Parts: sequence; C-alpha cells; structure tokens
Amino acid sequence: MKDNFFGYHKVLLDINLTTKEIKTVPIPREDIENFLGGRGLGMKLIWDRLKKPGIGALSPENPLMFMPGPFSGFPIPSASRVVVVTKSPCTSPENKSLTSSSTVSYSNMGGFFGPEIRFAGYDGILISGKAKHPSYIVIEDNRVEIRDARAYWGMKTDEFDKAIVKQLNNERFQTCYIGPAGENLVSYACILHTTARAAGRGVGAVMGSKNLKAIAVKGTGMPHIADHKKFSIALKKVRDTSTGPVDGIKTDLFRKWGTAAFLQTLSDDGLMAVKNYREGTYSEIEKINAKTAREKAWVRDFACYCCPLACKKSGAVKDGPHKTIVHDGPEYETGTMFGANLMISDFNGMMKAIYDGDDLGMDIISAGNVIGFFMEAYEKGLVTKTDLDGLDLIWGNVDSVIKFISKIAYRDGIGDLAANGVKAVSQKIGQGSDAFAIHVKGLELAAHNIHANPPRALSYSVSNRGACHLCGDTISDQNFMAAVDSLGICFFATDFNKVLMPGVDKNLLGELLTAITGIDWDEDRFIKVGERVFNLEKMFNFREGFRREDDNLPDRFFAEPYTKGEEKGALLNKEDFNAMMDEFYVKRKWDPVTTKPTNKKLSELGLGFTI
Amino acid sequence: MEDNKTPEVYRKSSTHEKRALTRREFIMKLAIGGGSLVLLAGCGAKVTSVFDTGSGKQIYSFIAVDYSKCTGCRTCEAVCTAYNNPLFRDGRYKSDLGNPVHANIRVHSFNPDVDVPVTCARCDDIPCVNSCPVKPDPVTNRRALYQSGKYDLITNDTDRCIGCGNCVSACADSSVGILSQNPATNKPMRMCTLCGGDPKCLEHCPYEALSVLRVDTAYPYYRMSPEDIAEKLNKRWYNLNV
Repeated sequence: MKDNFFGYHKVLLDINLTTKEIKTVPIPREDIENFLGGRGLGMKLIWDRLKKPGIGALSPENPLMFMPGPFSGFPIPSASRVVVVTKSPCTSPENKSLTSSSTVSYSNMGGFFGPEIRFAGYDGILISGKAKHPSYIVIEDNRVEIRDARAYWGMKTDEFDKAIVKQLNNERFQTCYIGPAGENLVSYACILHTTARAAGRGVGAVMGSKNLKAIAVKGTGMPHIADHKKFSIALKKVRDTSTGPVDGIKTDLFRKWGTAAFLQTLSDDGLMAVKNYREGTYSEIEKINAKTAREKAWVRDFACYCCPLACKKSGAVKDGPHKTIVHDGPEYETGTMFGANLMISDFNGMMKAIYDGDDLGMDIISAGNVIGFFMEAYEKGLVTKTDLDGLDLIWGNVDSVIKFISKIAYRDGIGDLAANGVKAVSQKIGQGSDAFAIHVKGLELAAHNIHANPPRALSYSVSNRGACHLCGDTISDQNFMAAVDSLGICFFATDFNKVLMPGVDKNLLGELLTAITGIDWDEDRFIKVGERVFNLEKMFNFREGFRREDDNLPDRFFAEPYTKGEEKGALLNKEDFNAMMDEFYVKRKWDPVTTKPTNKKLSELGLGFTI
Repeated sequence: MEDNKTPEVYRKSSTHEKRALTRREFIMKLAIGGGSLVLLAGCGAKVTSVFDTGSGKQIYSFIAVDYSKCTGCRTCEAVCTAYNNPLFRDGRYKSDLGNPVHANIRVHSFNPDVDVPVTCARCDDIPCVNSCPVKPDPVTNRRALYQSGKYDLITNDTDRCIGCGNCVSACADSSVGILSQNPATNKPMRMCTLCGGDPKCLEHCPYEALSVLRVDTAYPYYRMSPEDIAEKLNKRWYNLNV
C-alpha cells in the first residue's frame, strides 16, 4: 500500500534532445511527500541529476524542467502556475575555483501551460541534451515528438505565437517558446507563453542552449484525487476566500489596476527602483502609472487558468509613432524597469519598449537594470557614445533604449557585452562601477528599491537564485513562499499579505492538499516543505562555492542616500545590515561564517543526503 | 464602421447576483423590460422553460457572453466539464473534476488578446437537427439528433447516430461551430445542457460575464463564429484589422 496516494500521475516526462530518447520516469512517493511539486520537486530533481558542482548552465547536461504542482489541473482558483527549474546562467560566486559555478534558478509563470502538462499526463517535463538543429517538442497525451524548428528560428515571439497555432492546426495546444534573445543566449533571456506571460531570470538562455524553440502541450486526461467529498468542501472554501472579501480591496486592486497599482504607491513610499536604484521616488510617475495606463491604453483585463483576480491588462498604443502596438502592460516590474528606472515618462514609448522586450524574449527586469547601469556609466563618462555604437543613452531617451534592447537580443555591437548581465558588464568597464552594478550573485535586482526597506535588502541578499523580489523578507515568509511555489498555485491567491490581501491560508492549503493526496497535511508539515526546499537550494549553491561574501549588496545602498521623496536621506547601514544577516543565519541554523546549514538542521529536514 | 458602435454588452443581460431577486423585484424587472429578455437573476439562476410567443414560434434560452467582462480564465470550461462530462474513476463519476477540453462551452483564445467563449446558440431554425440524415422514428418523429425535455435541448440518440458529422458541419457553416465530433465515436458533442436549469458556468464565472438570455437574433455577435467575433473585437478594442 506504499504507493497508495493520489493527485499525481507519479511520472516525469524525460526528453533527451541529444539522443532523442523520450521516456517517462517514475517519481518516488518520498520525493512527492518531501517536495510536493513545482519549485520543490524541481529542486530535488536537479540535485539528483547534477551530481557535482561546476557543470555549465548552458551545457547539455543542465536539465531544464517545467514543473506544475499538485494543485495544477484542478479547477482551484489561481492554480495556474508552472515553475521552470534549471541551473542559472546568470549567477557566479566570488570564489573562482570552478569555472562554471552558478546557483539554481527557478522562475514561476502563470497562464495555462502548467495545468496542460497535467492534462497530458505528467507531473513535470525534464529536458536535457542539445538538439542537432533548432527543434520544438509537441506533446499530445502520450504522443511526444521532437520536430524541426529551423523555419521558426529567429522568429520573434509575437509572430511565433501566431505561427505555431497555424502549424499545429489546433488552438488547444498550450505553448512555451523563446525569442531571438534566448536563441542568442542572452543570459537573462526568458521563456514566454501567450506572448506576455514569462518565466524570466535566465531560463530562456538555457532553452536556447538546447536548440529548443518551443514546447507545445495538449492533453485529455487529468490526475485523480483521494477524497472527493473533502475536496469539494475544501474547494468551496478556497473559492470563497481566494479573492478576499468580494469587491474588497484585493479583488478591486487586481482587477482594476493589476500590479501596476503599485507604480504610484511604491514611488510615493520611496520603495521604487528609480534612476538605476539611485532614488526611490519618481517625480513623473503619474505619466506612467496605472491610472494613465487605463486612460491611454488598457482595453481589457485578462486572467490565468481559473483565476478570479485578472491582474493582466492588455492595451493598444493609440497615437504617436508606436501606434498599432497591442500588448499587455505595464505591470509593476515592467513599468518600473523600463519606466522609472530609466527615467522614461513617455508612456507610449515605454509600451513599445515593453512590447519589444517581450517580443524579443528577454527578462525586462534584468534588461531595465542593465540599461540603467549603462545610462549611469554614460552620464559618469565611464563609457562614451562611441562605445555605445553612437547611441545617446541619456536618462529618459526612450528611442535609444528601444534600439539598445534590440542590440542586446541580437548581441549586436555593445549589445554583445550587455547581454551578459550587469555583473559582467561592470567587470569589463571597471573604474569602480561595481558600486552601482545592481545585482546579487550576478542576478539583477528587481523593481523594488531597498534604501528604505532593510527586510527586502535581506531578501535580495539571501535569495537562492540571486536578487529575487519574491523570495520572502522573513524566514517564515521564505518558507511559506517556497511551499506555495511547490503547489502550482499563485501566491496572489494566498494570504501572503494578511492586511492588504487576505486569501487562502496555510491551513486551508493543507486541507486541500490532504483531500487531493490522501496523505495527512497540516500547516506545520506544509511549511516544513518550504523550509526543506529553501535549505536544499542553499546546499546546491553551497556546493557550487557560494559563501557569505556572495550574500552581499552593491555599495550604492550603503553610501548614497536618497535625495528626494518621502524617504529622503534613507540609506542602509552596513553594521545594521551585517547584524541582521548574522541573526538570519543563526535563526536558520546556518553557519554565519560560511552560510552552510548545520548537519543537524539538514538531518532534521530529511536532507541528510546532502551532507 | 457601424460595427464599431455595436455594444459588446448585452444591454439587458442578467448576470447572476449574490442574492436571489424577490418575486416582486423579478416582476418589476419584467415590467420595466416590457416583456424583458431578462430571464432571471439570482445565485442559482434557474432557467425557465421555453415559452410560446403566441406566434407559434419557440424561443429558447442560451448562455450569452459579455465579452467586455470575460477575462479568458476558463473557469466556465472547468466547471462545465466537471458537471457534464466528469472524470470517471473507480466506477464513479467525480463531479468537481474534469478536463476542460471536454466542456460544452469552449473558450477560444486569440492573439492579440481576445477570448471568445462559445456555447450552443440555441438556433431557432436548428440547422444541426435538420441536417441529420437519420430517418425520423415513426413513433416519435425524431431523427438521431433531436430536441428534447423541458428546455428543448439538442440531444443525440447515440444508438441511432451514424457519426456522419453533418450536424457538426451545419453548426460550423450556419452558426457558432460549437458542435464537434467525438474523436473516438465520430458522434457529436458539446451540446449545451443548461445543466438541468442551473448553469454551472454562470454560477462560477468570477467576472459575471455570462447570462442566460432568451434568444434574440438581433443581439450583436449572435450566431457568429469565434473567429468573426474576435475580428470584430480586435477592431473595436485595439483598432486593428487582423
């Protein structure tokens, strides 16, 4: 009776593009109990596959995994997520003893792809090897084919999204694909789905390195559950709570404004990335905020699978040189990174930049960060107009930014350097520019500034994929997020922010998980998964050579206080920061000197195999 | 250009509300509407039976979509399939579970972002039924595809159906094209059941984008194919000719 659990197909689809071998691999019950799915199970799988450190992220051995979770494929509100897990092409430790060391990367994306993987009969897809020529994979239930994609190589994502529907002649396929940025191994390329949903943070370069243009999935089945009655009861509770009180602040906020609502509030509060993270408040935010977007562009709100929140907005540029652009956005991240961080207040120009970034298939967080760095270096005279191929990259010059984005995707001229990420760029430019190269471990910071936000500073520093805004600012939040990311549900549906955004709590998530799996889950056991995942990620990074010196922030945040806004004068204090970090390691039961989790902690979490 | 002015909202649409209307309110609504098209509102929106207009013409109820409210989340597909084509396991049907591909309502997603849910339009001239080549039963006068029950729903007698696909073509040619052949049996599927009078899609749509309305051929987008609807919405929303 050991295998008597439900809610899973209990198999992983394993595709090797070098040998063209396609097989299903059983997933042991133990791994499911300990790591659930999504980010957690992906982490366990990558640990098992990469048995030693220093294997290159862009080498054929690096597995690229698409991991839905145990909630995926059920009509649970907001259970739309898929996590792409792989080894990161963006990060590197200070210690250079291994040439290809990097952290793990996990990137969480909504839409319809995750549920469809489960409809097709799998709990995850793992791709390794490298195809001889550009290829794409078509999965229709148990029929899996590797097809020639040479005709599509070089195609931008918007055009590809339309072309693949025609090619497959069935609009029920859910597809993930890369654009020119991924093909050209831009380190921060992303994987797109429905042209606007993206798994960023470098995973697109890994897909490009495998000569893989796209994966299309369609399925007619679904997993089974353990206790139908309990499931129906729990599902009703989730439906009643995931939106918060009906017409309350949460539903209202997401439906009307999406994450773009925070463009105004975080600028007001001095928490936004402005002028390459020099400031926290953008004086022209009104020109690009959600209200402006609603007036100037947005025409409809749209949602991921079974999601009642509809945080995505699509719109059209209605006048000026970029008229005819139809795209989603801005969201908080895209509006900040291609708006405030570059001092761009031309809304239509910003929409064009966002469209191009997505169309070319790059992570707009990293791209906006890298371009911001170049703007500052240009202002400071560290790079010249000639270095920039004649682009006048002054703050706010949206036309230059649009040209620069294209250069990055095609590795053209200065774009070839910029495509390697801000850490590599600042190392090349030197002259003390590392002080304002805004990354941790090589991954660019997201759109939340930290001069006035020490908890977020900690979060960026210790996040296991490099600077990540979704890591969680406290240990309990980190464990909660890691657990939620392992379920296949969007954290917007949960009560991650109890005050502003009530939602599904840990208890109810456990109740639903029990009904689905038939294994007893309570709050503690569920959160323990999150802690286990976070620690296994840490051990992966530790094995790759990441130490305390890698959990560090650029000097800017300790040296240059804000000069404007509500938080004028705000600055991080190095001593306080170090003390906060020490406390974090101690509480985590990690060694504050090396950051290695103690053997006792690892054993307690069932991670004895990492010792 | 006239097209651009057609409202995408059904003016008299009755989205479900959080509380049922009182009988008085209901009558008021009917009065205001002057024999209003509003069938009913109320949480468990029950569909009333077909009625005779006096001209002898039957008017049916159908699931109407307010495209300005739909977000393409496919909750309707998920709950439709769970009720009408639930997962069969361990000798039992599991309601609350099912793969949306088997739903009777189908959301067509397009690029640029337009989502068009489609369900049986309850055509008054029933092209699907009329295309059925199976000889009518001498007793019931029914072909293999016929209308039955309280709501005169399109029903297939799978024993007599020959799986020719005429009904599917007829639906595609002169209506919304929702019918489709079951890949295993070739027999038609996706006939709306109105869930026995309590449509699940309506009950669970998080955006109140669905209504039960009496058929009126004057409705904008009525009986149009999803592709044609998407084209019109593209033009209307994004000012695009795709």
